[in-house]
Amino acid sequence: MKEILVTILSITGISTVLAVLIIIAEKFLNNYGECEIDINDGEKKLVVEGGSSLLSSLASNKIFIPSACGGKATCGLCKVKVLDGAGPLLPTEEPYLSQEERKEGVRLSCQVKIKKNLRVYIPEELFNIREYISTVTEIKDMTHDIKEFRFEFKDGEDIKFKAGQYMQIETKPYAKVREKATRAYSVSSVPSDNKAVELIIRRVPGGLCTTYMHDYVKVGDEVRMTGPYGDFYMRDDSDDYVFMAGGSGLAPIKSLVMDIMERNLDKKMIFIFGAVSKKDLYYTDFFREVEKKNRNFRYVPALSRPEPEDNWEGETGLVTEVLKKYVEGGKGKHAYLCGSPGMINACVNVLVDSEFDKKNIYYDKFS
Amino acid sequence: MKQSPRYNQIQENMKPGAFTAHGFLGEDDRALKDIIRQDDADVEKLDLSHAQIAGRMQYFTELGKELLDIPVVVDEIYEVLVDDHRGEIPCPFADNQKAIKTNTRFTNKKLGITIYWSDLNIHMIRYHGFYEGKGSFFRNDPQKLAKALGLI
Repeated sequence: MKEILVTILSITGISTVLAVLIIIAEKFLNNYGECEIDINDGEKKLVVEGGSSLLSSLASNKIFIPSACGGKATCGLCKVKVLDGAGPLLPTEEPYLSQEERKEGVRLSCQVKIKKNLRVYIPEELFNIREYISTVTEIKDMTHDIKEFRFEFKDGEDIKFKAGQYMQIETKPYAKVREKATRAYSVSSVPSDNKAVELIIRRVPGGLCTTYMHDYVKVGDEVRMTGPYGDFYMRDDSDDYVFMAGGSGLAPIKSLVMDIMERNLDKKMIFIFGAVSKKDLYYTDFFREVEKKNRNFRYVPALSRPEPEDNWEGETGLVTEVLKKYVEGGKGKHAYLCGSPGMINACVNVLVDSEFDKKNIYYDKFS
Repeated sequence: MKQSPRYNQIQENMKPGAFTAHGFLGEDDRALKDIIRQDDADVEKLDLSHAQIAGRMQYFTELGKELLDIPVVVDEIYEVLVDDHRGEIPCPFADNQKAIKTNTRFTNKKLGITIYWSDLNIHMIRYHGFYEGKGSFFRNDPQKLAKALGLI
């Protein structure tokens, strides 16, 4: 009995000593001290505490790199060119980087741990991305699974964005979700409405952020967001535009169309909106009104599976067939598409067959 | 049965709030290893492989994707409807794989069975033999799944 007790105590004692040694060793071995991040050949220099990711270190210095997954290496958006000091490429980065990007030193900034001085290149436009603290001032039910939120910025702060761009929202822990999550949503409001943004959010079954936004966020709540992000914005060098969207993809298209109207640009526009049945349509009256006011704008809602009670007399069937019907001769025209990858891929093929130049087809895939 | 620290970590990834709001385990309180072991045995009893089941699911999902939001009827027995959502979801097995958030609604009209699966389910069945925990929304018992898919 005594021997057993001595053995247990000895093992416990040795384990405790080893654990303490590991903690001490970690403290010293993982202490990288202060490291310098040189951005764009000395244009900006940051001194940060080593040990954190490049993404979070930049964010704590108010440089926001796009990231839809919040640093979990699942979105592949937070790419940054690291010219020096990043260490070897991690297996978690490999699926997101092409051979060319690897050669150029592109890395996922969420996976680069700062252990020594770094030299990085960050595109100029990312310096315009800012952090905003907002208050939810309005929540509208648009369909059975889509809501529109209006966020007004605190202290009258304003935002400068281009129609078509997106913001990243940060959720707070809720229910069984213990960590914050970050997700990207397109702005549906116009750039001139610069004290606020409106975002259209479709519920994703089981989605971390959409569940939070649909079930937990109320009017008056504070929401942190960063932006604006993205290159899905208007290029003014065409007189003929085709807009195509499905589901919550309507958001950036609404912003683009309204921006064109506000700036009195003389553009011919057609907007084809694909939905399943009438219950999935929204902003129909709004776009009908736009149509009445602007003879250059045409709105074509198309249902893939109208219900008998819908009494639908508009376009039906595959959205690609509707697109074929309305879009002929793509030379000189620009197309802006926002929706699911399946829809976008199918529509791009139709547009290319209709002689659209590929470089004039802009899209925001839901991925 | 005790499972490895790696499986403990994967099981953590499957809890509500880690990768999805509801997680992958439902009300199943068994160790992940045991959930997989049981389903593995059930699939073996059916004289099938996970790859065969996943392959058949993939076949129907791909047919559904061709028609976007419109249901596809296959062989007059099966009806497939694919619906996709914004974003991608990583595999909780931490194998650096991710799937677009695409859901398939599959109906075997002859048997009157309707089941649902995601693109991630196809991956998890094919590569990890994981059909989700009991009570989870996308859980499909191998036997029910194989029957609905016309494999048995």
